[in-house]
Amino acid sequence: MSQIQSKPAASAANSAAKTGPTYSQLGMTWHFLKGCTHFFVLSIIGSFLMTLCEMLIPQIARSLVDSVIGTKPFTFPAFVTARIEAIGGVAFLRSHLWIIATLIVALALLIALLRYATNQLNNKGAETLQQHMREDLFSHIQELPFSWHMENKTGDIIQRCTSDVERVRVFIAEQLTSVVRIVIMMGLSLYFMFSMDYRLALVAALSIPIVIGYSIFFHSKIGEHFMEVDTNEGILSTIAQENLTGVRVVRAFGREEFERERFEKQNNFYTGLWVRLMGLMSLFWGAGDIISGLQVLLILVLGSVYCVNDSLTAGEFIAFLSYNSMLIWPVRHLGRVISEMSKAGVSIDRIRYIMNSDTEHDREGVPEENRRPDMHGDIVFDHVSFSYTPDIPVVDDVSLTIKAGSTLGILGSTGSGKTTLMHLMNRLYPLEENSGKITIGGVDVADMDRKYLRQNIGMVLQEPFLFSRTIAENISITNRQMPMDDIRRAASIACVDEAITEFKKGYDTMVGERGVTLSGGQKQRTAIARMLTQKAPIMVFDDSLSAVDAETDAKIRAQLHENLGESTVILISHRVTTLMNCDQIIVMDKGHIIERGTPAELMELGGTYRHIYDMQLSMDDDEDEGSNASPAAVEGKEV
Amino acid sequence: MSENTQNAASAKEEKQYVHLPYFGLPKLVPYVKPHLKIIIGMVLLCLLAGVIDIILPLFQQYAINHYVGESTLDTIGWFIGLYLLILLIQTAGNTYSSYLGGQIEMYITRDMRRASFNHLQTLSFSYYNQNSVGYIHSRIMSDTNRIGGLVSWSLMDGVWNMSYIVGTIVAMLLINWKLALLVLVIVPITSVASAYFQGKLVKYNRRVRELNSQISGNFNEGITGAKTTKTLVAEERMNEDFNKTSREMTRTAVKTSHFRQLFVGTISFASYLAVALVLWRGGYITMNGLMLIGTLSVFTTYAMNMMEPIQWVVRAISDLVTVQVNVERFTRLMETESDVADSPEVIEKYGDAFHPKKENWEPLHGDVEFRDVSFMYPDGDEYVLEHFNLKVPQGTNVAIVGETGAGKSTLVNLVCRFFEPTSGQILIDGRDARERSQLWLHSNIGYVLQTPHLFSGTVRENLLYGRPDATQEEIEAAVKAVSAEGIIERMDKGYDSDVGEGGDLLSTGEKQLLSFARAILADPRIFVLDEATSSIDTVTEKLIQDAINKLMKGRTSFVIAHRLSTIRQADVILVVKDGKIIEQGRHRDLMRQKGYYYNLYTRQFQEETMQQISV
Repeated sequence: MSQIQSKPAASAANSAAKTGPTYSQLGMTWHFLKGCTHFFVLSIIGSFLMTLCEMLIPQIARSLVDSVIGTKPFTFPAFVTARIEAIGGVAFLRSHLWIIATLIVALALLIALLRYATNQLNNKGAETLQQHMREDLFSHIQELPFSWHMENKTGDIIQRCTSDVERVRVFIAEQLTSVVRIVIMMGLSLYFMFSMDYRLALVAALSIPIVIGYSIFFHSKIGEHFMEVDTNEGILSTIAQENLTGVRVVRAFGREEFERERFEKQNNFYTGLWVRLMGLMSLFWGAGDIISGLQVLLILVLGSVYCVNDSLTAGEFIAFLSYNSMLIWPVRHLGRVISEMSKAGVSIDRIRYIMNSDTEHDREGVPEENRRPDMHGDIVFDHVSFSYTPDIPVVDDVSLTIKAGSTLGILGSTGSGKTTLMHLMNRLYPLEENSGKITIGGVDVADMDRKYLRQNIGMVLQEPFLFSRTIAENISITNRQMPMDDIRRAASIACVDEAITEFKKGYDTMVGERGVTLSGGQKQRTAIARMLTQKAPIMVFDDSLSAVDAETDAKIRAQLHENLGESTVILISHRVTTLMNCDQIIVMDKGHIIERGTPAELMELGGTYRHIYDMQLSMDDDEDEGSNASPAAVEGKEV
Repeated sequence: MSENTQNAASAKEEKQYVHLPYFGLPKLVPYVKPHLKIIIGMVLLCLLAGVIDIILPLFQQYAINHYVGESTLDTIGWFIGLYLLILLIQTAGNTYSSYLGGQIEMYITRDMRRASFNHLQTLSFSYYNQNSVGYIHSRIMSDTNRIGGLVSWSLMDGVWNMSYIVGTIVAMLLINWKLALLVLVIVPITSVASAYFQGKLVKYNRRVRELNSQISGNFNEGITGAKTTKTLVAEERMNEDFNKTSREMTRTAVKTSHFRQLFVGTISFASYLAVALVLWRGGYITMNGLMLIGTLSVFTTYAMNMMEPIQWVVRAISDLVTVQVNVERFTRLMETESDVADSPEVIEKYGDAFHPKKENWEPLHGDVEFRDVSFMYPDGDEYVLEHFNLKVPQGTNVAIVGETGAGKSTLVNLVCRFFEPTSGQILIDGRDARERSQLWLHSNIGYVLQTPHLFSGTVRENLLYGRPDATQEEIEAAVKAVSAEGIIERMDKGYDSDVGEGGDLLSTGEKQLLSFARAILADPRIFVLDEATSSIDTVTEKLIQDAINKLMKGRTSFVIAHRLSTIRQADVILVVKDGKIIEQGRHRDLMRQKGYYYNLYTRQFQEETMQQISV
């Protein structure tokens, strides 16, 4: 009852306790950009200088044509003209054309260097940015509460951390910077064009909005078709995927022909869509070609007219054509970039969803000694209640004291709340306000540093997870410097040393996809060894010997008993025999403790524990009578 | 350790990288040949496009030499008209050739996809066991895509740019051969530099891809292992290790970019070098009145524009080199032969997987016999069955038990002829299974899997999968037999409701019930149940158990059981451990033996008693 009333208060407390910053779209972008902006700024400056140099070459060529080969005076600034006069003027240059050629080569070298530096800086910035994003995301995900992991699909999160990160990188490092570059390029081109002939420059400039506008229109139009093609590629891919995963079903029902037709149909449909899209794209590109071709023609004709009536020199005309060709491509590209930039917003939002999710946090304003107290104390559950979804309690008003150094056994069916109780203790799930409290040595676990708390509670999970590393690295995951002796010692206590040394590479055997597949029992025992290296004062074995046969189970328990020392131990199991040596046993059902006491007391009580004990023990004693020994509950299933 | 895995990964990649003669292109002939007409059309158009690209600067030359040089506008009308005409031809040519290029890409890809998909339908399960779904899937989807794309666009880029380069050289030689030769000195330099850098780039790009998949893998592990990381307080360690990979990625990517930028820089320098050379020597020639200013200008344009196409041609060649990896993988799939194949005589009589001759099919009665069967998985090195004999008369209920991964599926795989015995025979109705077609056998088997597999589509489509011509009454009867009416009623469109990709919109239990109904609807003579009821609640399970027992009467059945309590009255129980049958008999006999089965049974019993108590 109590947790139902406490719900609103708890959620209010939760939202008030928001720890990390909440990022807006811009804020998020800025956050990732921190530490790499200088790359981009330097790159843009470099790109300005490079463009300037590129623009100088047509000027030099123009002077060569007009003033060296032709007879027009130089139009350079006075100090340049003065230098030319100093070395012997046009006559000298006419006989020493190599000077101009060298000048161009020198400029070309400078351009090449600047281009290298510019692009390299930009890429360095881009890679650093992407590195920031993925590292921030990874460590943030590590710190997110366990409930968050339960609520979100792995595939979706990975998608956000890889594809969306990539898209944001492209947006910032390629699209944003190329917009800046293109604008610089356009500005400089137009500057030189206007400085030579404002009439022609005006014609060239007027075409810019037309080309950009057309380009944006084209790319957004194409975008819709791309979506359709993408969707259909997805369908085709799914058909193939389902055919492969369901290959047994296909064969067992003999439906190869049907599958072939289904794939064929979608394959043809998808191909048709693509070909249509290619047709459209070709048409659009063609139209773009015509627009820029007409612009060139207009400038060619007008330029010729102006040259004929002497308002433009031949050199200027040639230079003008160079600038114009420098202008056209970036402008067409700009439209494309602008139309694609809109997609980035969605990706930023998808990343923001992760970064704005609240991480786990510790309570504030707690006295320092309570953050890291001595953990060798009694564990007390005081009226603890918990539910994942409102109104359906998983743990309901549980009170329990576990004496320091004692062993507690928990018996209960799946879903009775035993695992949740353990997760509440190490705060994988935080207790809400007014839902009771859990103390260790008198200190509320909510007050403790959560990492300190977990370091001191060694826990072997029901379904052990091993990392795709070597077995040695898995066991020593909590301490990189762990000596091999310690690793092996832990493994032999968990009775897995022998199995490991039988592998070809022993402790260096890789686990998981790239290596050996361990059996369920081997996994569980490796996880036990890993936990033992923590040397924690509190140890929890959550049904962690279920895949091990009874004999090994007993052996491990005996080994543990010798080596656990002062530790407080909590054992969760289905096997009565496993629990028989516990100091205290509780039986849980539907979130409640229904029985508690020493094994002897519970036997005396004659309740559920006794019942299970009788059934399981009777299996061992009366097997000769075969099925007669089976309880009615199981018999009931027979037909 | 990350060092180790990286080496392992690259070694694996290296192994796949086998050099085929001529970049593996001859292997593609069957897929290219049908589209030869389109390809020839595209090549011709590309040649035309290259030539027009060369003609266009001549307009500039003419305008400067004639109008500007001679101060006259006499032919301006012709000039505009001709320019427009060329522009139109060029645009039409470009448009059409890129459309054709797209067609070539898509058609080649489509044909290869179809061929690989169809081939996969005939491959035996040993192929599926040795290769993950993800791996096979990317053969059908990615490799074909890459081959189609690269073959088509490399061809287009190659032809277009080659024709432009050759045309430009010819044009320059015609205008002034001495000046042209001067420019041509740069061409080999550019080509060599391109080849060098392209080689480096291919190598580094491969490393970047490897690191990329490693990073995705790390994310996957970081997310699925979150609970373990938290309880072990290994967050720091995970972060450190991730950052190590992440930093290496950054370093490699920057290094890749370093080579790419050097490449770009070199090409741009070569272009300007050509311009400088032309202006220097060409300037003298022009001053001496041997060449007009407009001609100098167009020569400059040619010289400058020639360097980039060289880069593109080199790129096209290197793309063809890299695509051979994909060709190799694709070819290996296509050349894999099924180790379970019907003989020509059998196909002659019973038809193949796509063209069954149902009129010749005999009815299947249901006697199965293993006669001296020895079996070793094609990728294994140990016999999992040796001289195994078992008679399963029609109507017998065979149960197979053992731990997860013990090899319980082997027998079932043999019965279904998903694999064939290494030696010995499996007889169906007294005749060797190989005497009839696979499709004949499969059409008579009802198969329900542990992880039920539904296809995207409606409930009805899925139910009809095994028997497309069933009537609505028959469907409903089958659904009722497994007590799945509730599921259908709950769905908003009843039988026409969508089940989602792989049946994702349904729970595992619901999927199991439907796949069960699907098998029943097919009315098979032999039933195979693979732990079929593991995700259904106890009440429903009881209902289904009843239905199964009713339906299995009179049919031969093989049940791979997880809950041992459900198979206690099987006619024969086979106990499997480490891939071998270690015990065999009825429940009572096996319990009395006090062997492995006894252990399995008691352990499970302890867990089941817990469930029974709390219900």
